[in-house]
Amino acid sequence: MTVSWQTIADAVSLGGIYALMAVGIGLVFGVLRLVNFAYGQLIMSGAFALALAAQWNWPVWAGILLCFAVVLALSMLMDRLVFRPLREQSPAVMLVATFAVAFLLQSIALLWFGALGKIASSVAELNTPWVIGGVDIRKISVVAVAVTIACLAALQLLLTRMSVGLHMRAAALDFATSRMLGVRANRVIGSAVLVSGFLAAVVAVLLTVQFPLVTPSFALRDTIVVLAGVVLGGLNRPIAATLGGFTIGFASGFLGGALPTNQSQYLDSFLFAAVILVLLVRPNGLFTRHGGTAQRL
Amino acid sequence: MTGRLPQLAAPAVLVLGTAVLGQVASSATQVYFIEALVSVVIVVGLYIFIGNTGVLSFGHISFVALGAWTAGVLSVPTGEKPAFMPSLFGFLRHTTVGNVPSLLLAAVAGGVFALVVGLPLMRLTGLAAGIATFAVLEITNNILQYYEKIGPGQNTFSAVPETTGVWQAAVGALVAVGAAFVYQRSRFGRMLRAVREDAPAAAAAGISIYRQRLGAFVLSGVVAGFAGGLEVHLLPLSYRDLYLDLTFLTLAMLVIGGVSSLWGAVVGALAISALDSFFASAENGVGIPGGTLTVPSGTRVIVEGVLMALILIVRPSGLTGGREFSLRWLRR
Amino acid sequence: MTLVLRDVRVRYGAVDAVRGLSLEVKPGEIVGLIGPNGAGKSSTLHAIMGAVPVAGGEISLNGSSLRGRRSEDVARAGVALVPEGRRIFAELTVEENLRLGLAARRTPGGVEEAFELFPIVREFRDRQAGALSGGQQQQLAIARALVAKPDVLLLDEPSLGLAPRIVDVVFDALAAVRERGIAVLLVEQRAQRTVALADRSHVLANGELRLTLGPGDANDTEKLVAAYFA
Repeated sequence: MTVSWQTIADAVSLGGIYALMAVGIGLVFGVLRLVNFAYGQLIMSGAFALALAAQWNWPVWAGILLCFAVVLALSMLMDRLVFRPLREQSPAVMLVATFAVAFLLQSIALLWFGALGKIASSVAELNTPWVIGGVDIRKISVVAVAVTIACLAALQLLLTRMSVGLHMRAAALDFATSRMLGVRANRVIGSAVLVSGFLAAVVAVLLTVQFPLVTPSFALRDTIVVLAGVVLGGLNRPIAATLGGFTIGFASGFLGGALPTNQSQYLDSFLFAAVILVLLVRPNGLFTRHGGTAQRL
Repeated sequence: MTGRLPQLAAPAVLVLGTAVLGQVASSATQVYFIEALVSVVIVVGLYIFIGNTGVLSFGHISFVALGAWTAGVLSVPTGEKPAFMPSLFGFLRHTTVGNVPSLLLAAVAGGVFALVVGLPLMRLTGLAAGIATFAVLEITNNILQYYEKIGPGQNTFSAVPETTGVWQAAVGALVAVGAAFVYQRSRFGRMLRAVREDAPAAAAAGISIYRQRLGAFVLSGVVAGFAGGLEVHLLPLSYRDLYLDLTFLTLAMLVIGGVSSLWGAVVGALAISALDSFFASAENGVGIPGGTLTVPSGTRVIVEGVLMALILIVRPSGLTGGREFSLRWLRR
Repeated sequence: MTLVLRDVRVRYGAVDAVRGLSLEVKPGEIVGLIGPNGAGKSSTLHAIMGAVPVAGGEISLNGSSLRGRRSEDVARAGVALVPEGRRIFAELTVEENLRLGLAARRTPGGVEEAFELFPIVREFRDRQAGALSGGQQQQLAIARALVAKPDVLLLDEPSLGLAPRIVDVVFDALAAVRERGIAVLLVEQRAQRTVALADRSHVLANGELRLTLGPGDANDTEKLVAAYFA
């Protein structure tokens, strides 16, 4: 095992990025009871937007704006065309539908950009190191953590201080009663989708700094891992889901960086075996107050 | 039983029709027909579980993969094995079996794996079952990719005798269809459907939900393993071919055809296979009335994805409405 | 702001839960809806709130139809429901529960006024709502509904599971609400107290209106029993 400060910094920053993804997935699950399998493709589309902007020699800020525009537009389209018509269906059907959308988007990207992908060279200088206390730490690691903290703080404010945030929390707890109190269903869902999309765009920017090659399967593996983390943490509790995402990101980054390759190969298997275990024993997640019982029948 | 015979006969007729078409097809296109028939086996296996229990499973392809690995590793002639499977266990390295035994072993492997996986997992339902079975898919793919003592790891299977011809695939499909039909008409199938309709009532009537689901799961594993055996004897396979793409494709076939009926499974598998093959050849330029149609590669997944999403939104019960074939439809 | 139901029908699959119910609630009056279990009382309230589809008839508030509108739109039109079992959000604070009630409010304002009728709620404003007792939660649920300044207040069995002393508090509050000119439709199992409080009480059995009683009939046990078993 080789542990350097860079490894730890990488792990923390990956944990932060995964935490943001977990929140994005958890928010939509809260109001829609829908696990958006296609979340990774949202990030991928943002990354391709950055790649295109780089190709067209746009300034960095313009590329980032394009990234946000594309991701938000795609999120809203997904809500309108897929989530809304399926709202009455069971969570399992919705999972299959988002699975289909995920494949659809990936194929469109394959068609458009080809399998080799494009380079998104946004803010590349963040890969250069700062020297902190005599140790080299890449700037992006610090920036990623700072951005994560800022986003989570802003989100906390939104959820507690603003009425739309309160409505989202109430809708996640009991949608029917919330509506009878006057909470507008479409507005709450739309807000959750927007915030979720915003976070996906942020993640796209952060990830492309470290991984500038954007292919149609960009962020696919990350999404699957984050999904595992969210389930482990607790799907229906936002704080728990975030913790789950961070933990899995940190563990993934730490073990991936510290272990030699031949031992880290089976990381995924341990991860998913843990997911199965948690689903059997504490289906509501590890970080929630009561484990809850699996649907008995 | 005779009243229900059309329900068995209709899918069988479709299978035989496909086989006949495949027999007369040119050697270039014959593989599409064989692929279609193997897809029928996979999708019927998937239907045996999802259709009867109403529980979602993303892990079906891991049984196919295990079957493929079992049949593949044991069918390659001993002399050829070290070329792409250098680190096999001694027993696997020195054993070679014939075609039919390899298929039977593949089926057994699929069934045993399904039993092992099903014992803990059959307590779950709904979203939890979907995620847990997805985890099984991930674990299987991860292990098959890296564990070189049991198979080719990241290499592609080669030197596997290509024994899956049109008629072998057709027989395989008929066996699968027959098994599914017998199962759903049996006591077990009917008990499961009772559970699907009204679980608390079924439990109160003394039906063991867990045991019945496990039975369906194991049977689906047997059929899937068998399909894996057929598949490995047809095309050079790698771990990548038995993962998310195939999961999506077979799920799409079942959903589009109709999740709750055997007829739906067969119709879906053959219809989407036809579509898939058409677009596959269109990607190389196919002759249609009026000229040649060439589509960019990857189009077929887009079409399948759109179709699947559309069906889920507009007609969730699938093309067949989730109903079995009925002679009444012909009389109209 | 009169709530009018005319020949309302509610059907769940093959079962007729409400068959041709007609009633009226005017501002400043309490109309009781009593009857045995499964009579269709809750279904009536859910139909008004748009939570279940209406198979026939008309529901209107001051002339404009409520039928077929979404729950949130009915709430925003000035109809507030205190659901059966209270349905407060246990994980949110008392104050947050009240702020939720503001969602349907048509005039600007805050939650302070709710504390007048139910001072106990102010005491617990920063506590998690789940920590309150059953009676306190019921008061919170009513306060939450009133925060929206509704024209019509619907209550689904507010006295369920409450000690008699707390039922007094709740029914006194309902009398005060009547004073403010709000139209109140009160669904209850406690026939006697409801008949005594309400301006008139309808007895619902098997989805149909069987009998209408006035406050004077409150002590006529025979009449009450006959109405339930008619």
